[in-house]
Amino acid sequence: MPEHDDLIGELRELGRALAVPQPVDQRNAVRARLARPAPHRPRVRLWLAAAVAALTATVTLVAPARAAVVEVVGDLLRVAGIEVRREHPRGSLPANPSPLPSTRTADLAEAERAAGFRVLVPELLGPPEEVLLADPDPGGRPRVVTLVFRGGTVRFDQFAGNLSPLFRKTAPDAQWVELAGVPDGAIWMASPHPLTYADRTGTEYTATARLAGPTLIWDTSELITYRLEGFATLEEAVRVAQSVR
Amino acid sequence: MRGAAIENDEATAVARARAGDLDAYEVLVVRFTAPAHRAATLLGAGADADDVVQEAFVKAYRQLGRYRGESGFRPWLLAIVANETRNLLRSRNRRAGLLMRAAVREDPMPLEPDPAESAEATERRRFLVEQLRALDVRDREVLVCRYLLDLSEAETAMTLGLPKGTVKSRTARALTRLRDRLPVKEVPGA
Repeated sequence: MPEHDDLIGELRELGRALAVPQPVDQRNAVRARLARPAPHRPRVRLWLAAAVAALTATVTLVAPARAAVVEVVGDLLRVAGIEVRREHPRGSLPANPSPLPSTRTADLAEAERAAGFRVLVPELLGPPEEVLLADPDPGGRPRVVTLVFRGGTVRFDQFAGNLSPLFRKTAPDAQWVELAGVPDGAIWMASPHPLTYADRTGTEYTATARLAGPTLIWDTSELITYRLEGFATLEEAVRVAQSVR
Repeated sequence: MRGAAIENDEATAVARARAGDLDAYEVLVVRFTAPAHRAATLLGAGADADDVVQEAFVKAYRQLGRYRGESGFRPWLLAIVANETRNLLRSRNRRAGLLMRAAVREDPMPLEPDPAESAEATERRRFLVEQLRALDVRDREVLVCRYLLDLSEAETAMTLGLPKGTVKSRTARALTRLRDRLPVKEVPGA
């Protein structure tokens, strides 16, 4: 736009001459607001209410066979291997995530051989950047297989869920949601929450408690439990979860 | 090399923030408060710019999962800032009513007189601000982003949620419209 060069010059000059007051320091205010759970929009809440109602019916129907797998007991949500307490976390949240015990890297084929179950991959995310095997038994069989995507911002954990809870989570905003192909539904936690890992002896590792981002968890009839972490919205998490093959 | 290092820092901070690390997010809050505040002010938020900035940081954190990082964190954040500012202006207009619009609160574009400048130049600048404010909001937004905030075409496109081609054509149109409103400048010697 050469015919406007002088006007453009004047506008740039004007930009420099406009006085903008000092901005307020936003650090504390933003942090305080992020520490509170995100408010749910009414539309979403209605949809969730419908999902919970549908699931309650499902649970009633399948309860005898699946009682050990999915329970809704007061404010305790449970998918095989994961227990979610719907309450506010006590104490402050850990700032720096720490890894699961005895973690080593592997490739997908090796992970599958070692784990003793089929290791699945969310197709939408492409091949994993890293495959991690954690907390092996004396024979070397890992309890948890983790696939890492997008520079570590997305984690996909999978493990045999017919065990006592491995992970304990405290998330006041945990909700049951419907997931196609998963009869018992999934649990969605929209805001970051503390995650505690319990090892083979049942000892809870408060030292390995880490702050998990928004997470979707579900299990299958083969009692393999999946945990997908790192997507800000439920829609996106569900889309990726449905691409798991 | 320094630019690359800063970019890398930014990507690391975003990745860690996305995993729920509020300390990492604070790094981004500190770095981008000033540009976000300046953009909010010049796009018309005026004295409410701080509120817009805070709202934008809270929303940005919750939407980090959608961040793709193609053109950096700044234009991505500014898009949220621009959107919040539009919401603010809409509700302010509803509150104030159309008749009051001209007298709305503080001047969103405060002009600081430069003592070294001639009275004539200051007057011209003041007039330029008035004409800029009189433009259609869509024309004003592209000019504010491109020249007053000095954003690139790509950054402007992201900030305003427009295709790049639209930014180009709208900028040309806005410049023509603005020029039509200005008195012809006397060229020395002509």
